[in-house]
Amino acid sequence: MSNLNEENYEEERGGFVFDNVTRNMFMETKGYQAPIAMKTGTTIAGVIFKGGVVLGADTRATNGPIVADKNCSKIHFIAPNVYCCGAGTAADTENSTALISSKLALHRYSTGRQTRVVTAMTLLKRMLFKYQGHVSAALVLGGVDLDGSHLYTIYPHGSTDKLPFVTMGSGSLAAMAIFEERFKDDMSEEEAKSLVHAGISAGIFNDLGSGSNVDLCVIRKDSVEYLRGYDQPNERNYRTSYVIPRGTTATLSSTEEVLSKQLIINELDDRMEVAP
Amino acid sequence: MTTHISPQMASSGTQHGKFEPYVNNGGTTLAIPGKDFVIAAGDTRLSTGYSIHTRQSSKVFQLTDKCVIVTAGMQSDASTLHKTMHARLVHYEHAHGKQMSTEAIGQMLSNMLYGRRFFPYYTFNLVAGIDSKGQGVVYGYDAIGSYQSVEVGAMGTGQSLIQPLLDNQVAYKNHQLVPSKELDLERALSLVKDSFTSAGERDIYTGDSVEIAIITQEGIKYETLQLKQD
Amino acid sequence: MFLMRSEYDRGVNTFSPEGRLFQVEYAIEAIKLGSTAVGIQSRDGVVLAVEKRLTSVLLEPSSIEKIMEIDTHIGCAMSGLTADARTMIEHARVETQNYTFTYNEPMLVESCTQSICDLALRFGESDKEERGMSRPFGVALLVAGIDEYGPALYHTDPSGTFVRYEAKAIGAGSEGAQTTLQEEYHKSMSLQEAEVLSLQILKAVMEEKINSTNVEIASITVANPKFRVYNKEEVQAIIDQLKA
Repeated sequence: MSNLNEENYEEERGGFVFDNVTRNMFMETKGYQAPIAMKTGTTIAGVIFKGGVVLGADTRATNGPIVADKNCSKIHFIAPNVYCCGAGTAADTENSTALISSKLALHRYSTGRQTRVVTAMTLLKRMLFKYQGHVSAALVLGGVDLDGSHLYTIYPHGSTDKLPFVTMGSGSLAAMAIFEERFKDDMSEEEAKSLVHAGISAGIFNDLGSGSNVDLCVIRKDSVEYLRGYDQPNERNYRTSYVIPRGTTATLSSTEEVLSKQLIINELDDRMEVAP
Repeated sequence: MTTHISPQMASSGTQHGKFEPYVNNGGTTLAIPGKDFVIAAGDTRLSTGYSIHTRQSSKVFQLTDKCVIVTAGMQSDASTLHKTMHARLVHYEHAHGKQMSTEAIGQMLSNMLYGRRFFPYYTFNLVAGIDSKGQGVVYGYDAIGSYQSVEVGAMGTGQSLIQPLLDNQVAYKNHQLVPSKELDLERALSLVKDSFTSAGERDIYTGDSVEIAIITQEGIKYETLQLKQD
Repeated sequence: MFLMRSEYDRGVNTFSPEGRLFQVEYAIEAIKLGSTAVGIQSRDGVVLAVEKRLTSVLLEPSSIEKIMEIDTHIGCAMSGLTADARTMIEHARVETQNYTFTYNEPMLVESCTQSICDLALRFGESDKEERGMSRPFGVALLVAGIDEYGPALYHTDPSGTFVRYEAKAIGAGSEGAQTTLQEEYHKSMSLQEAEVLSLQILKAVMEEKINSTNVEIASITVANPKFRVYNKEEVQAIIDQLKA
């Protein structure tokens, strides 16, 4: 029995509810299939350059073979100096980044210090490890703090890497092919943006799970530039007009009511007029 | 990052790969018959899973001067089917001194598919042509040869996106006011183009370009429209 | 001819030094012993007519069947060893049915005739599993039908050769009959004229006096492309129109 009834509904304190797990597992043995979640078959990537970090992402969200969202946002805010790209189940990436973002905000209130990237990384990996891969979030975390620029990948089971250039998602191979070819240490910001753009584009065009636009996020020592829709190479190029005359759609029945009979109309006083 | 070892691999020494003869190569096909014309079209993307194999693989195959077939499903079966049909058509022309009629092609394909009843070709076909009365005709098939003449046909991964639109706009399904003006070539062509651009927006397996065959009594003309590459 | 006989007239797959296949030639000779059959293609259809030899008063005339339907739109008349014709017609019936099954449309008359001749040519063939045919067929056919190109009449012989004719006679009286056809046939002939001409010719070449039981007549028309053998009354109606 669920304890999620009307009375204690308000008392929910956050965290996951596991009430129906056993029931659902039993139902699956009887052939019931659980609803599928929206996945962001994705290309996300990040690169460290001389003055900071550039993060990039495509904007396609898929539901099986169908594009569920043509322009979703995959670069999430973590802290003013830390951002995080998410791949995997959309709900998991959105909620785990938002949750850790909240925790870090509280942490900043208590400490009065800037968030460190390693702190964000640790909170994320501990959460993901706790859920043993059931929270399907594959992340690229980047930011600049007092120790300099940092770039991490975090896998759904909770393992992490710290690297100068990273890619994630179904388009990670396409993007990494570009990065392996063109990455250099200590690139300029423009070089880094161009490289991430090329990597994400490779994912968009060669991986069917990725598509639409390129979003970028540049994090420098003292500033952040969130470039939503940095490149839009997939605009629709053909459209037909459809004229559907009134009365085309079939109706089973219709009733008519004269609304004026139910209205009380108060005539406005002429004195209210201002203009001549 | 992770080194994944499946329990079977770890425990038992030998294991047999399961025989999986079928793969879906994605893509969408479409055909619309008119009074004295017929349009058949297919996108040119060939893929499996999340990978694009090529952006220029044709799904349209010309059978006679006034008949084409468009095939969605598995490319290797489609190619074999097209080649076998071509051989049959050439042989027929030698044996009977004429090109096979569109109606005859319709029946022959049904027999060819049903012949593979218990190991079918993984193909979803539309045969589009001018019939012996000079009218446009489209036959739609399932994988094992059930077929019928259709008012409009769509097959493949984009079928569920396109078919309802075309049922409504070509066959005027669920319309209370049916336009008296019959479908002309220009309108049909613009519907084909819009259908494919729309499918390309939402179906990850439809894209790159559409190859459109326009068949009239005068012959077959081909047009290509670029689609999105993502 | 008799003087030329040698070892070479035994096997069906051995040419004589003069380049002849005697067995085939003999088979063609056999047709000249058969009852006369006439076929006439007209503007609006094709007529087939045959003589029935009623050798005994005790013989049931309807049991002699020398005109047969192959498919609804094709029929044929025969002369020679009629038993052989049954094999050929059975083959043609299977071929036309198979064609309709495969292509959902009627087979061309020429294609049907071709398939009959393919069978006729199989003498001399044999392999380990199946015994081949021991001899050529001893029968000639007049294949009549209507297809998308209109009325058509073909003649086949035991060599497997087929030729299209506007009017053709086969069998014992064929020489005289063919001469008359050449004189009387014209392209704008109506089906009714063709019916009368065919029986007029049979009447002239038959030993017995013509009547509604010793001839068989059938036709197929463009207006109604279904091959049909006439009943007794219809035959009599045509006989009544014959010149004395």
